[in-house]
Amino acid sequence: MTHLTEEDLVLLYYGEKGAPGYARDHLAECGLCRAAAESLALMLDACNEWTPPEIDTGFARTVWARLAPQLEPRRRVFEMRWWLAAAAVSVTVIAAFMAGRFTSRPDPEFTAGLSHQARERILAISLADHLERAQLLLTEVANMNDSDAADLAAHRARARDLVNEDRLMRQVLAGDREDAGMLPLLDDIGRFVLEVANAPDRVDAAELRDLKQRMDSESLLFKVRIIETNLRTSRISGKIS
Amino acid sequence: MDAGDELAINRARRGDHDAFRSLVERHSCAVFRLAYRMTGNTNDAEDMVQETFLRAWKQLGRFDGRAAFGTWLHRICSNCTLDHIRARKAKTEKTTELAPNVPHWGPTPERLVQSSEITALLLPALDQLSEMERAAFVMRHYEGMPILDISRVLGVEAGAAKHSVFRAVQKLRRALEPAMSRSQ
Repeated sequence: MTHLTEEDLVLLYYGEKGAPGYARDHLAECGLCRAAAESLALMLDACNEWTPPEIDTGFARTVWARLAPQLEPRRRVFEMRWWLAAAAVSVTVIAAFMAGRFTSRPDPEFTAGLSHQARERILAISLADHLERAQLLLTEVANMNDSDAADLAAHRARARDLVNEDRLMRQVLAGDREDAGMLPLLDDIGRFVLEVANAPDRVDAAELRDLKQRMDSESLLFKVRIIETNLRTSRISGKIS
Repeated sequence: MDAGDELAINRARRGDHDAFRSLVERHSCAVFRLAYRMTGNTNDAEDMVQETFLRAWKQLGRFDGRAAFGTWLHRICSNCTLDHIRARKAKTEKTTELAPNVPHWGPTPERLVQSSEITALLLPALDQLSEMERAAFVMRHYEGMPILDISRVLGVEAGAAKHSVFRAVQKLRRALEPAMSRSQ
C-alpha cells in the first residue's frame, strides 16, 4: 500500500488539484494517513487563530487622505510620451528591415553582422510589440462605457501611430512566406485603428456600440492576444545567435 | 470583472479622482489584510496599502481586465511588500511588532492560553520563512487563492509556488509542534 505524502495531504487540505486519484479512498482505509491528515488539519486550522487587527471604518478615508495629494494628473502625458517613444523605435526597426530586405543596399548598421535567425527574432519582437500596443488600444476602447458619449480624442494620436506601424508591418510581411498568415489580422487591426484615428472628438453611444460590436464580431482582441502570446512564447524565447 | 469596479476603473483612467477613491474604499481593507499578514506589522502594512494604490494609479492604463481588479491589486501589493521586506532585511532592521497583534478570540481561558501559545510560536515561525514561502503561504492559507493564481501573482511557475507552500507548511508544523502536542 502506498501511503500519502505530506505534500498530498497539503493539497487535499486546500482542495488543490495534484493529489493522487486514490487519495480520498486511501484516507478512508488507512488509519496512519488519516491520523497524519487530521494532525496536519489541526495545525493549519490553528494558524487561523492569528487574525489581522480590526480596521476601523475610517481606514479607507485615512488611506485616501494620504494618497490624494500624491496622485499626479500628469500620468496621461507620460503615458503618451512612452507610447510615442515605443512606436518610434518600432517604426525605425521595421523601416530598417525593409531597407535590408527589399533593396540592394548593404544591411543597416544595427542589423549588420546578425545571423538570419537573430534578424527574424528582432522582427518577431517588433511584431509582438506592435500587437501589444494594438491590444492596449483595443482593450481601452472595449472598456469604454457605452452608455455615455465617448471621448476618443485621447486615443487618436496613438491610433494614428498604429496605422503607420501597421502599414509598415504589412509591407514587411507581404514578401515573407513564414509570416504571411498574419496579414489578415494586420488588415483587421489596420481597419480598426484607422477608424479610431479618424473618429471625431466625441462619438455618441450608438457609434461607440457599433465600433465595439465590430471589434467583437471579428474577435479581434482575442486574436491579437493569442497571436501576440504565441509569438512571444514560440519565436522570441530562443536566444539570439 | 465586477461591474462597479469596471465603471470606476474606466473613469479613473480618464483622471477621475472620485472614481479612484471609490476603488480605494472598496479594496483597501483586503489589501491591508494581505500586507499585514505578509509583514506582520501594522505600520508597514499601512505603508504598503498606500504604495499599492499609488502604483495602481500610475499603472491603471496597463490593467487589461483579464483578472479581477482585486487580484491585480493583490499582485501589486505582494510585489511592493516583497520589495519592502527584502529592503528591510538588507538593512538588517528587525522590526517585528508582536504586541499589537494579539487577536480577539475564543472566550474560555483554556482556549485563550492555547491560542496565545500558538500565536506566540506562529509569528516568529512566519518570520523565519523566506519571503516567497511566506507570501505563498499567506495567499494560499489566509486569502484562499489557488496555487495557480499565486504563481501568477508572484511571477513564478506553478510548481515553484506549490513548493513554497509545502516548505512553509513543513516549517510551521515543526515550529507549532510543541503547542499542538500539548493540545491533543
